[in-house]
This record gives sequence, C-alpha cells and structure tokens, in this order.
Amino acid sequence: MPETRLLLKHSGDAAYRSIQGYMDKGGYAGLKKALSMDRQAVIDEIKASGLRGRGGAGFPTWIKWNGIEKEKTKPHYILCNADEGEPGTFKDKELMENTPHLMIEGMIIAGWATQGDVGYVYIRGEFVDCARAVKKAIDEAYEAGFLGKNIQGTGWNFDMYVHLGAGSYECGEESALMSSLMGERGMPRLKFPHAPLPTVAGLWDCPTVINNVETYACAPYILVNGGEWYATLGASTKNSRGTKIFSVSGHVNRPGNYEIEFGTTLAELLEMAGGMKGGTLKACVPGGSSVPILNAEQTMNAVIGYEEMVDAGSMVGSGGCMFLNEHTCIVTFIWRTALFYARESCGKCTPCREGTAWMEQILDRIRKGGGRMEDIELLKEICSQIDGRSFCGLGDAAAWPVAGALKVFPEEFEYFIRHGHSIVDGPEYRRMAPEPLTPAKV
Amino acid sequence: MDVIQISDLRGRPRAPRPEEVNLNFSEKAVRELEQLLNHYPDKKSAILPCLWIAQREYGGYLPSEAIAEVALRLDRSYAEIEGVATFYTMYHVGHPTGKHLIEVCTCLSCHLCGAYRLADHIKSKLGIDWGETTPDGMFTIEEVECLDACDRAPVLQISDQYYGPVDDKTVDAILEKLKSETSPSTVRLADEIVQAQLHKRDQEKVSGN
Repeated sequence: MPETRLLLKHSGDAAYRSIQGYMDKGGYAGLKKALSMDRQAVIDEIKASGLRGRGGAGFPTWIKWNGIEKEKTKPHYILCNADEGEPGTFKDKELMENTPHLMIEGMIIAGWATQGDVGYVYIRGEFVDCARAVKKAIDEAYEAGFLGKNIQGTGWNFDMYVHLGAGSYECGEESALMSSLMGERGMPRLKFPHAPLPTVAGLWDCPTVINNVETYACAPYILVNGGEWYATLGASTKNSRGTKIFSVSGHVNRPGNYEIEFGTTLAELLEMAGGMKGGTLKACVPGGSSVPILNAEQTMNAVIGYEEMVDAGSMVGSGGCMFLNEHTCIVTFIWRTALFYARESCGKCTPCREGTAWMEQILDRIRKGGGRMEDIELLKEICSQIDGRSFCGLGDAAAWPVAGALKVFPEEFEYFIRHGHSIVDGPEYRRMAPEPLTPAKV
Repeated sequence: MDVIQISDLRGRPRAPRPEEVNLNFSEKAVRELEQLLNHYPDKKSAILPCLWIAQREYGGYLPSEAIAEVALRLDRSYAEIEGVATFYTMYHVGHPTGKHLIEVCTCLSCHLCGAYRLADHIKSKLGIDWGETTPDGMFTIEEVECLDACDRAPVLQISDQYYGPVDDKTVDAILEKLKSETSPSTVRLADEIVQAQLHKRDQEKVSGN
C-alpha cells in the first residue's frame, strides 16, 4: 500500500499553520459539527471509528472519554501528552510544528464531549519550536472564538494553556506527566486497580482525559467524515483502524515521517523511506526503543497493526521505526538502549532503578571485551526480574529490547564474549561505536 | 555513574532561611509569574514555569539563592523546590554552564549515524570532555538523550535551536558563529520557554498595555 496522508496531508503547507489557512482547508468544521451534536453522540462517533491511543499502549480512546463522570461535580481537565521522548519517534514534533490547529481542535472536541474546563498541552522542554507554534495557534483560536468564554454561542467555556517540561523521559508516562504538571518530580503514581483511573482522579484529583498529540489530531477527521468512514481505513487488520504516523530513521535514504494505513507492511514502509543506506537490512526496531528488535526476515514479513505486530514478535509502540544496516553491531546498539534507560529511570522503584543500571554495566563490560559467558543468563535473569515488577511501564520497556535482542541475535552476544570484539567490523562500524573500541579482528 | 562523596556534601551551603533571601526577580519577571499563576488552580503547579523564570533571571543556572527565591515566592520549602529542580536535566542547579551549552544527542538514531565520532571532534576542538566548560567560559558540552529529531541525525541542540544533520565541518562553522555571540544563549533558551507559556493577552498585561 502507498502512503495515506491524512494528518500529514497539509504538513508541507506553511499557510496551514495559521488559523486562516487551516480553516480554508476545512479546519474547525469537525468542532462545529461536534458542538451541534449531543456530547454522548461525539463519544459514540469516536467509538465507531475504532481509534486507539497513538502514544504507545494502544488503549481505545473512547473508553477514556466515556469514563469521565456525566454528572459533573468537579472541574474536568483535558491533557495532551506532548512529552515525546521515545528514541526514534518524532511524529508529535512535526504535528505540533506544522499542524498545531489539528491537535488543538481535537482537544476542544474532547473537551466538549467530556464537559472539560481547561486543557493543558504538556510539551517537553527541548521542543521550543513546537511550543511557540502551539502557543500561537492557541492565541488564534481564542481570537476566533473557539476557545475562551461561550464558545460558538453554546455557553460552554474552555481554556487552554501550554506547559513546558524541563528534560525527563519519564514524564511521558501519564501519571508521571500529571505529577510533573502539578509541580513535582516526574515520578509515576499508583495505578488502577490500586488507585483510581485518571478519568476519575487525575490532575488535582479531578477527572482527566489524557491522550497523545496524534490521537487528538485524529478526532477532527473522525467528526467530519464519521466514525464509520474512519474504520474503513486499516480494515484488513484484526483490530487496528485508521492511519498511523511512523517516524523512520537510522540507515535509510530518506528518513522522515510517513503516514500509513494499518495493514501496510514494514517492507513497504522501508521502500517509502528510500530503502537501506550503506548496506543491506540487518534488523529493525519498529516502534521506538522500547519494543523488541526484529531481524531482517521478521521485518520483511511484518504487517503493521497492533495485534499483527505482536504476532511478528514486536509492537507498534509509538511508531519510531529504526532500520539498522549490516554494519551495525547489535551488542553496541543494545548497550546504548540500556544506557538510555539507566539514565532516564526516575529512581522510584528498585527493579527499574537497579536493574537498568546493572544491565547497562553488564552490556558495557561485554562491549569493552570483558564479557563472560554467564553474562547472557544473568541479563535474561535481570530482564525477567524487571518485566512486570516495576512501578510503571518504563521498567518493562527497559527489559523488552534487551530480552528481545538476546532471543533474536544470540550469536552476536556469544561471539562478542568469546572473541572480545564484535562480529562486525569495518569503517562503518568504527564510525558508530563509541571509544574505547574493542580490538579489531585478527 | 557519579558517586557523591561525603566530602562534597560537607562544603554544601545550608539552605537560606526565609528572612535571609534576597528577592532578585525583575519587575517583568514578577508580572510574568503573576500571569502564569492564573493558569493553574494552585501555586505548587507553577514550580516548573517559575524555575524557568529563575533560570533566566539568575543568568542561565539556578544557584541556591534562586531556589530560595522560588520557594519564597510560591510558599513552598527550599527542600521541595531543590528536589524538583534536580530531577530535571534542563535545570542547571548549583553550577553555571558556559555561555553556550552544546547538547549532543548520542542516543540510538544519532549513534547509528555517527554521533560519537562527531562528539569526539567537538571535544577535541574545544579541548574539553563531557560536562566540562572551556576556560574562557564560552562553551559547555553535554551528552543528552534522544532529542526526537532522529530524521536529522546526528543532531545537536544549542539554546532553542536544533542543528542537524551535522558533520565536522558544519559544527566548526556553528562554533565559529557562536564565538562572536557574547550574550549567553542559555538565558535566551529560558526566556523563550517562559514566553511560550504566556498567552498573547498575558504578555500584553506583562508589558503593561
């Protein structure tokens, strides 16, 4: 299947960033339609579309919206998770910079459907360009009467603010993001069933809808064209509907964001990105650093869909797709992944704080040529001790890539440990690997 | 991993008492904080934005005086503000950085595209290692985790700007250009972040129109 550009259709058009250009292309029609509908009808439309969260977990969006109390007793908050931090993912960045109104319209629709009072866009601190674009768009939406008091004569008031983070991967986790927005260290909180869902007690203990940028950006299209139309996209898959933006990077000729319909194959995605650069395909991390790595054969057979990708041995995740060529040393790559999690672990729970640091140290030892054969079993043991035992999903996400690589590329680890250097060598490998380099092959 | 030595803690200044705190925020900063407080139902939620204001007002980092001032202005304890500030990597607590902070991403996609060799080049060019500042106080180089601009790998961030894909030559040109810029880009970053959180009507109130 070719690329299906829905959200990114106008992302190359500079005029689309302003409210005038956005409305010329049919912008805010979805909101106007929603405002003329019953609140529950809006949620039903989202339900019919089969939209699932685009941030990584793939949770059905309508369930979150429907979970907000209908008899209002407290303020309701609409929160946008724009703390994109997953290595390999840069879709939200493009959406916020080039199509900020799409996300804002989606948030206002969510606000209408759930009787929201205030919306917050939590953007990571590094994304200053995104924050500027979103802020400008919010100002324009206020002037046009889509935000503020008595929106479009409905008597409904809704405000929206930008909130910037200050550098933390953990804040992309929804409960940590809420902690951070409330002025705390960005650490996760107890989750359901041990604590109420955010839809019951989220921000300041009030009902809160939290979704990813891309999820909100889908809402205007669903409202304009209907949920049933949206559900025809990706109908060839088991339970994935619509389009998904994949951020393609690594060893490809044309890295960038590609929007595809579910049911497209990873091989087609690679072709869209101009094919491999510098060598043949060795491996692929299809959904951001947290998901298990695939070898070339698995990659060429994988169909993109939430369930289909699990069958292939990985996950859709956040859509940060990295292709690795034959000169890549998997051991070094996985060590770098482990280093990321060791640095970004928030330190709240022991399995993740200690486990990620130990995994990094063991992989670092192997990478420097001092590995032991029993290290492989030790790594597997640590992975199994983290997975499912950490406080939030970040711990699981730290264990999956290491456990996955040990399963898919065991020979690379064994070779490295036995010989004290990587199975691959050459100028390309040397350009990638950090100092100190392991001794070359004799 | 950094190990904190007991001797490091011995020289640590004690937290200032409220009556010892000097209020150094400019009038503009005070008005900005007033507007930001309107965005949230409680004062505590303004800690992050207020720390950004403080980082700008105190010249690109957060000395203990800045932490104390934020604590006083938001009615929180010094320990709480310090605890929050030290969690986030973009706040520079205690130690000033160089005028220009060069943040090199070496995470996955950048690593695949040769970020470590690029970092070696910058380090040898400036004669400093990760986390160090050049003797003239111009540059600090830091290794950062994914900046989420993987399509432009290898990428680096200086102030509010992303540069990528960069190679040795383009980095040299960027450094040359920065040498002529004497105003600290770290302060500019903090200011841009504060401004991005203020609506147009907030900014109008700040400037008094």
